Amino acid sequence: MVSVINTVDTSHEDMIHDAQMDYYGTRLATCSSDRSVKIFDVRNGGQILIADLRGHEGPVWQVAWAHPMYGNILASCSYDRKVIIWKEENGTWEKTHEHSGHDSSVNSVCWAPHDYGLILACGSSDGAISLLTYTGEGQWEVKKINNAHTIGCNAVSWAPAVVPGSLIDQPSGQKPSYIKKFASGGCDNLIKLWKEEEDGQWKEEQKLEAHSDWVRDVAWAPSIGLPTSTIASCSQDGRVFIWTCDDASGNMWSPKLLHKFNDVVWHVSWSITANILAVSGGDNKVTLWKESVDGQWVCISDVNKGQGFVSASVTEGQQNEQ
Amino acid sequence: MEKMSRVTTALGGSALTGRTMNCHLDAPANAISVCRDAAQVVVAGRSIFKIYAIEEEQFVEKLNLRVGRKPSLNLSCADVVWHQMDENLLATAATNGVVVTWNLGRPSRNKQDQLFTEHKRTVNKVCFHPTEAHVLLSGSQDGFMKCFDLRRKDSVSTFSGQSESVRDVQFSIRDYFTFASTFENGNVQLWDIRRPDRCERMFTAHNGPVFCCDWHPEDRGWLATGGRDKMVKVWDMTTPRAKEMHCVQTIASVARVKWRPECRHHLATCSMMVDHNIYVWDVRRPFVPAAMFEEHRDVTTGIAWRHPHDPCFLLSGSKDSTLCQHLFRDASQPVERANPEGLCYGLFGDVAFAAKESLVAAESGRKPYAGDRRHPIFFKRKLDPAEPFSGLASSALSVFETESGGGSMSWFVDTAERYALAGRPLAELCDHNAKVARELGRNQVAQTWTMLRIIYCSPGLVPSASLNHSVGKGSSCGLPLMNSFNLKDMAPGLGSETRLDRSKGDTRSDTVLLDSSATLITNEDNEETEGSDVPADYLLGDVEGEEDELYPLDPEHVHPEEPEYVLPQEAFPLRHEILDTPSGPEHLQDKADSPHVSGSEADAASLAPVDSFSLLSISHALYDSRLPTDFFSVLVCDMLRFYAEQGDVQMAVSVLIVLGERVRKDIDEQTQEHWYTSYIDLLQRFCLWNVSNEVVKLSTSRAVSCLNQASTTLHVNCSNCKRPMSSRGWVCDRCHRCASMCAVCHHVVKGLFVWCQGCSHGGHLQHIMKWLEGSSHCPAGCGHLCEYS
Repeated sequence: MVSVINTVDTSHEDMIHDAQMDYYGTRLATCSSDRSVKIFDVRNGGQILIADLRGHEGPVWQVAWAHPMYGNILASCSYDRKVIIWKEENGTWEKTHEHSGHDSSVNSVCWAPHDYGLILACGSSDGAISLLTYTGEGQWEVKKINNAHTIGCNAVSWAPAVVPGSLIDQPSGQKPSYIKKFASGGCDNLIKLWKEEEDGQWKEEQKLEAHSDWVRDVAWAPSIGLPTSTIASCSQDGRVFIWTCDDASGNMWSPKLLHKFNDVVWHVSWSITANILAVSGGDNKVTLWKESVDGQWVCISDVNKGQGFVSASVTEGQQNEQ
Repeated sequence: MEKMSRVTTALGGSALTGRTMNCHLDAPANAISVCRDAAQVVVAGRSIFKIYAIEEEQFVEKLNLRVGRKPSLNLSCADVVWHQMDENLLATAATNGVVVTWNLGRPSRNKQDQLFTEHKRTVNKVCFHPTEAHVLLSGSQDGFMKCFDLRRKDSVSTFSGQSESVRDVQFSIRDYFTFASTFENGNVQLWDIRRPDRCERMFTAHNGPVFCCDWHPEDRGWLATGGRDKMVKVWDMTTPRAKEMHCVQTIASVARVKWRPECRHHLATCSMMVDHNIYVWDVRRPFVPAAMFEEHRDVTTGIAWRHPHDPCFLLSGSKDSTLCQHLFRDASQPVERANPEGLCYGLFGDVAFAAKESLVAAESGRKPYAGDRRHPIFFKRKLDPAEPFSGLASSALSVFETESGGGSMSWFVDTAERYALAGRPLAELCDHNAKVARELGRNQVAQTWTMLRIIYCSPGLVPSASLNHSVGKGSSCGLPLMNSFNLKDMAPGLGSETRLDRSKGDTRSDTVLLDSSATLITNEDNEETEGSDVPADYLLGDVEGEEDELYPLDPEHVHPEEPEYVLPQEAFPLRHEILDTPSGPEHLQDKADSPHVSGSEADAASLAPVDSFSLLSISHALYDSRLPTDFFSVLVCDMLRFYAEQGDVQMAVSVLIVLGERVRKDIDEQTQEHWYTSYIDLLQRFCLWNVSNEVVKLSTSRAVSCLNQASTTLHVNCSNCKRPMSSRGWVCDRCHRCASMCAVCHHVVKGLFVWCQGCSHGGHLQHIMKWLEGSSHCPAGCGHLCEYS
């Protein structure tokens, strides 16, 4: 039976562009065209507005929670070309940093795995990706990859922290040397993989080509015991691809078409154990996908198959995507 | 950005055609104005005053009004306006306070007509009366507005705003006698042109200077004002008190505002600084511009719609010394680019989804689908019926819970909390965990635990490592328990389930241990070939080989056992465990190394939504054979990898901990570490701190077990002044005494220092020990009864 626990007004005055749950799944941050970012406590099915963050001067496109080991930190990016980092101190949310190094709308923000420290990647319509690294005492160091995507970058997603070689081999007290990587998707229809070189510079490692229109979202799957790297990407062209890389060098990526939808696919999001992919498309529907025995991705939210089902459109279920 | 799209608009006979284009000016522009024929535009600035013809492909300079060898300050224009009734009449506002009119019909090169030098400071704005040909209005920095009749040499009337400076003056289109003026103090005044003594109405429109205003072209009494406070406000002036109808937030201070022709709710704005773009807003959607023109590289100073009835052509002049014609069709539309949906896969397997509500709302009359969604939560913006457009741009945000088998993580939390990982004999741990798994409906996991117990705790096998665990209860009841478990487990609902999938659900181990049925093995082959390419053939051969060798064993064992264990619901009888061929372990080892195979396994398991189970039965042959436990470890490792790849790192780590030394050596440290850290991270996300701590404690990986020490800090206070020791030295920097003095010998203690936690006195370990042998009081004489243990 469907039971609606609660109905609450987010009171956003315009379209909501992103909703993100925090690390513990207890809080939900939303952002909207109305320039505000709101944080709700969603524990036990409740929805209590904790904070209404105002500071952006344009539509806020995306929000991202940092790992709680750094405190309660939320990053937001906006059409006003700014990235704002918010922090909760003694129960009140304050702006702790404002980055305005982009020449155009900032479309995506993503925090690096916590092992690297506080690093935020921001993708902008000016084609650049900037990386903000917290260096302590309220200071942020900025590195910028110019011309990462011509016309603009729409999404960034970090690779999970994987250590080359065992931790055991590291001299004690020294930080393990991670290879930092992230993926970005842009208006040039490409997905690019970036890697930090030893000298701290970011270099394009791979160019993944399969989409025929703007790439709207990329999501690097969390690595929970998996030996392979997996990236999901979706595009304006209606296609969702799953990219996998099996070899250790990380250079051979092969795409597999998950599905071709009839409309723009806006978002892809992995479950925490990386075995289910949620996809939301222009038809206002969320579908869940799981890989089957023969390596094909099957929609497990399809009611006709009588198994798992989830859908966010109120009326889904009647229609299915086939 | 020279786009080749062309727009032709029919305007009652005449048609506007053209494309997006620009032309370089010699100097920065301050203002532009369009001739009423929509074919010419005048550009004015500090050192430019030219008329351009707007042709199809380009702007063509027609006339330079800046003549004379020594250009006077009268030509330094702050504003320019072209009369909308007389094609030859122009007026400019000079920065030196002069208002000049120009007659293009003059035969001489100098077209200057009249000069009004009445203002004391810069004139910010000039405005012709929309219907009265000879009336010109000016507003100046000196705070005065003057009305001129072009047939006379002086101003007709002067209006004092009683305020610093006038930024804009605009005749009303609706009322013949009314004009609006805006001021730097944030006020807007409404004047009757016949009453220069006082204004009709005044109200504060903005916080800070109001730079511009524009009457709505359709006579509805709407006035748009723009200010330094970055806002554009739309006022209804027909009501007794000006009523704010709309408010648009822009990024930067608003320098110019112009209603878009033929579009009731659209207006164009440009900014005074920072932002060089021109925006067109739908005032009903005040947060996102409807369109945006990004051609200019510096501040846009003047904007004008080319024709009063054409909404497609916008002209602009800029400080970057260019004149542009923008076509609406070529504008970038941020709304179109905007992502209308938000999606997040939550920790507990719930999905948060925000979508544009207009789409959802349109269908909301239908009954929501009542599927497996058990607890959907809706965040929904309530539609305000008073506002017909609120649905235009609002979103519905919902959080959905996925069904437990698929996405929900409640099993994870329950399992983590209830598993026993240490402190009991292995058999008990396995039994307990199997029971937990079974109670949570995770039959596959339960089976695995039971199998582990059988493998490692059977009476026949007494490997050295499990010697102490495997005796007693667990081992004595091993066989009967196992069987009864199987019976119980298979009973509910499984009769109809096809067994073909099941072999996958179990781990690699049962391939070797159990399967002898031809159907199963065939099935297995199929899966292998489908799921993986390279290793498949190789495996196939092996499996078949196995099969051949297994068959001869079958009759011996199956027949005597079968009657005992057959279940009526079952599709086929339970089978014996079959001894593997010696070649088994090697080939499995190979399999384990192949990610392809592992992948296929994971797939198979995920296909079966209800945990599949093993058909496990125990034959005495197993015990009789006295296989060493090591024999299984490869299989167990394989199984762990399978679980990990399936996303169930919990199982991998739990088994790793429970089995300890028995399997640890067979899995490389790095993998183990990765599992541990993944699992600990997951536990922490679910706030299962105790479990996480236990896992860290029990882990055998050095890198993991040191995690618990990572954030342990020891605070040291000075024993004299009780304040924290800030420096690392021997001396407290507050009381300047040595903190670690021995209470017995009164020397500084270097090395081992023992102190009483009650009174904080202490000293050399030897001294204190000796002292406390004789007395229980503190050697420092503080009277505290110290205890040394």
